Amino acid sequence: MHELAIAQSIIDAVGEKAAMCNATRIKSVRLLIGEACGIFIDSLTFSFEMLASFDPMLDGARLLIDEVPHRAHCRHCNGVFAVASFVTQCPACQIWDTEIISGDELQILEMEIETEPSSSPLDDPETVAHEQQSTGGKNIHG
Amino acid sequence: MAKVVIAQKILAANDSIAVDIRQSLATRNIHTINIMSSPGAGKTTLLERTIERLHGQLDIGVIDGDIETSVDAERILAVGGETVQINTRGACHLEAHMIRDALDHLVLAPGGLLFIENIGNLVCPAHWNLGEDIRVVMVCTTEGDDKPAKYPQMFASSQVMIINKIDLQPYVDYDVAKVKQQALAVNPHLRIFEMSCRTGSGLDTWCEWLVTFARGTA
Repeated sequence: MHELAIAQSIIDAVGEKAAMCNATRIKSVRLLIGEACGIFIDSLTFSFEMLASFDPMLDGARLLIDEVPHRAHCRHCNGVFAVASFVTQCPACQIWDTEIISGDELQILEMEIETEPSSSPLDDPETVAHEQQSTGGKNIHG
Repeated sequence: MAKVVIAQKILAANDSIAVDIRQSLATRNIHTINIMSSPGAGKTTLLERTIERLHGQLDIGVIDGDIETSVDAERILAVGGETVQINTRGACHLEAHMIRDALDHLVLAPGGLLFIENIGNLVCPAHWNLGEDIRVVMVCTTEGDDKPAKYPQMFASSQVMIINKIDLQPYVDYDVAKVKQQALAVNPHLRIFEMSCRTGSGLDTWCEWLVTFARGTA
């Protein structure tokens, strides 16, 4: 059930960013999800699509997910191994002196947007954000 | 069509509030414990017995999370604890903004201890940072002895595990050694307490540790 709250967090974050970029439509959102995050991808996609359907700017947006395997590094043998069921014991030397190196990612990487024909497609979203704030233009939901 | 790089954590908004909560509590020297378990493991009973035992020694405040009712908050009040009840009306976990709002209604003495009693659930609460200093996960002998293996993220993200209802072990098929082994497999640094909140066994050790934790020396 936490996938619904996570989907809402994604919608809030991309909505805020889209407003700063003067977007008229969000076409897709790309995420990075680690295996250790306990996210059921189908459930997250379902929740995202359901919530997006209530927002004209996001309706029909695709959720693209890059999954990252749960992996750890052994400080003893220096090997890297796949972590199964959260057990971080090195399979080669059977010791526990290991560190997680991937699998806990829960990130929004990027989104594809459409903007008003008059506004120039800028590559740097920070620049777009800055210009929008300085002109006071923000809310594009209305 | 334009690509916009975002590169931010999905739960960044929650994490940012949690950082504010932690800083605000740290300036008042208040240490915070987020306690999580399945429904019925004994979280509220643990808090009742802890408040009674540490009366006069440590000021304890409790933020009580439940889907409905103020039953737990009333139990904490009855033993002399400060408390605020949060009703999530169906939501399966607490989020940082709920803690921020609850703190406006809670009187906490500097140097005291704050417990956040999360919703009974071993899945969703693991995702949400509430600004706590440590996480305590509680299991008990009347549930299955495979919880750490079934819900590894909860045990991997906690610093302390409590095994409660240890007095009932002779009457149930609960393998304490197996539970410890499973829990330590996903988190070798886990500190483990065995206790019975009903008989009081193990509570002295727990309370001694809490006092050192609240003084920042644990």
